[in-house]
Amino acid sequence: MNRTLKKFLKRPLNLVSLSLIVMILIVATLPSTFAPHSPYAMDYDAILEGPSLKHPFGTDQFGRDIFSRCIYGLQKSVIIAFSSIMFASFIGTVLGLTAGYYGGVWDLLIMRLCDGLFAFPSLILALFIVALFGSNLVNLIVAIGIVYVPIFARTVRGAALSLRETLFVKASKVIGKSDLKIMIGDVLPNLSSVLIVTFTTNLSTAFLTEASLGFLGLSVPPPEPTLGGLVSQGTAFLLSAPWISLFPGFVIALVVLALNVLGDGLRDVLDPRNK
Amino acid sequence: MSFAYLLRRILTSIPTVLFVVFVVFIVIHLVPGDVVDMMLGTQNYLTKEQIEQLYKQYGLDKPLIVQFGVWLKNLFTLNFGTSLRTGRRVIDLIFDRFPVTLELSVLSMFFATVIGIPLGIVAAIKKNSFVDGLVRVIGLIGLSSPSFWVGAILIVIFSGTFKGFNIFGYVHLREDFLRNLQVMFLPSLTLGLMLSAQIMRMTRSSMLDVLQQEYIRTAKAKGVSYSQLIAKHALKNALIPIVTLSGIQLGYLLAGTIVIENMFALPGLGRLLLQAVNERDYPVIQFVVMFIAMLIVVLNILIDFVYTLIDPRVELR
Repeated sequence: MNRTLKKFLKRPLNLVSLSLIVMILIVATLPSTFAPHSPYAMDYDAILEGPSLKHPFGTDQFGRDIFSRCIYGLQKSVIIAFSSIMFASFIGTVLGLTAGYYGGVWDLLIMRLCDGLFAFPSLILALFIVALFGSNLVNLIVAIGIVYVPIFARTVRGAALSLRETLFVKASKVIGKSDLKIMIGDVLPNLSSVLIVTFTTNLSTAFLTEASLGFLGLSVPPPEPTLGGLVSQGTAFLLSAPWISLFPGFVIALVVLALNVLGDGLRDVLDPRNK
Repeated sequence: MSFAYLLRRILTSIPTVLFVVFVVFIVIHLVPGDVVDMMLGTQNYLTKEQIEQLYKQYGLDKPLIVQFGVWLKNLFTLNFGTSLRTGRRVIDLIFDRFPVTLELSVLSMFFATVIGIPLGIVAAIKKNSFVDGLVRVIGLIGLSSPSFWVGAILIVIFSGTFKGFNIFGYVHLREDFLRNLQVMFLPSLTLGLMLSAQIMRMTRSSMLDVLQQEYIRTAKAKGVSYSQLIAKHALKNALIPIVTLSGIQLGYLLAGTIVIENMFALPGLGRLLLQAVNERDYPVIQFVVMFIAMLIVVLNILIDFVYTLIDPRVELR
């Protein structure tokens, strides 16, 4: 692991994206420390003002500080994207691991389930669930998470399937270890690099899905700021005050870009095919 | 390319289709409250008998399994019910709106391939050069940007540079062809740019793969000119994964247009869906979602088919 880490950190692009992600996480956990204004505070002397030292990203039609709203929106987006992928990786790993390990009817059932879920485009499925059950934080996390369950299930199943035939798993069986112990103790640790790569690459798309839902007005409802919602709010002022849309959109792109570079970098060092 | 294969492929996708139908049915029934509650809203103008009448009419007094049977029967007879808000048949609404989404998708695919494939080829030929680096960076940025942000940037640029350009105000294709194309230009360019990033990356890696192969070296040794080598020998084989990717993209485009349709006020399927979501028009929501899912299942079968047409090595089993 140490050698892999060294190899990963040797590339400057990985280092940049990693520090960017750490910075984003710090800002998202402590929004009140970094936001210069309250995200709800209105300033009628500064309506639709362009970027300045006082308001780095400008203000909206109520004089609210876009920079501060971005930071609070970022917090929501990070929580939702991260939790939904945690949810998906847990459910998906359990399903994929058992499907790959046991095979048979259970495997067939799980894989057909995945096929069915794959037929829904991610945004549509999330939108469908949120539209029917309402858009609170938990519903959003589950709605976005469900989309990624089949991705994790398939990846884990494929890896578990080949691990099942290895000598050390067979040996564990011979010495009488229980199936549960083999799965958790022998198979799962060998899936860690696959899981890490799948986790980071899908984190970026989950982040984009949340932003798209926000743009469509289906993420956390206003007055809570969401990054997608800010872009959508600004589309009415694109010609007079483009900063309302463009800065929050830039923040989304920056986070997703950092996650994508991180994912690519991790894949390069963790994928056994690249060794 | 045999008929038996097509038949088998259709048969094996039946479980998927049934699953989709089942999921939509179950999810709709998990929602607190039912169609009658939704129709009544917060105010109750009806007597108890009238409400019971409504329940009977919608078959909600029957057990769930019977309701599912009725639902399946309605699906097969294309009886999708009527919109709770407009009173129009859902199937009419879908057929009204779908052509707009289809046009947007086709135009976007056009931009995506026209931009993505040449750039990918150039990046592959000039591997590790400055151009290659630039193309890869742009590709990564394109992959990471939300479509609505790219759309917003394009609107700002276009409205600033071309004063008389119609960005909004959809007109039907048959009404005014040129005006329609003008209004469709920016939305399709936005989506096209997004997709071109993926196509560019795929073209680059696929070309690099092919260029390393023996037959390319043989062709070079035979003295085939460089442009011929790229265009005829390499590209033809490199295209296979690109076609698959484009097919997959087309399926997801049909759904991805929802954001862009709402941004540019295009009356397509995505806008219909969002409108229905905002108005809690459940019959419309469930059938539009199902329509999109079905379309993707059908598209996947078609992609497999096209795949065999361009690559005779793929055997249909």
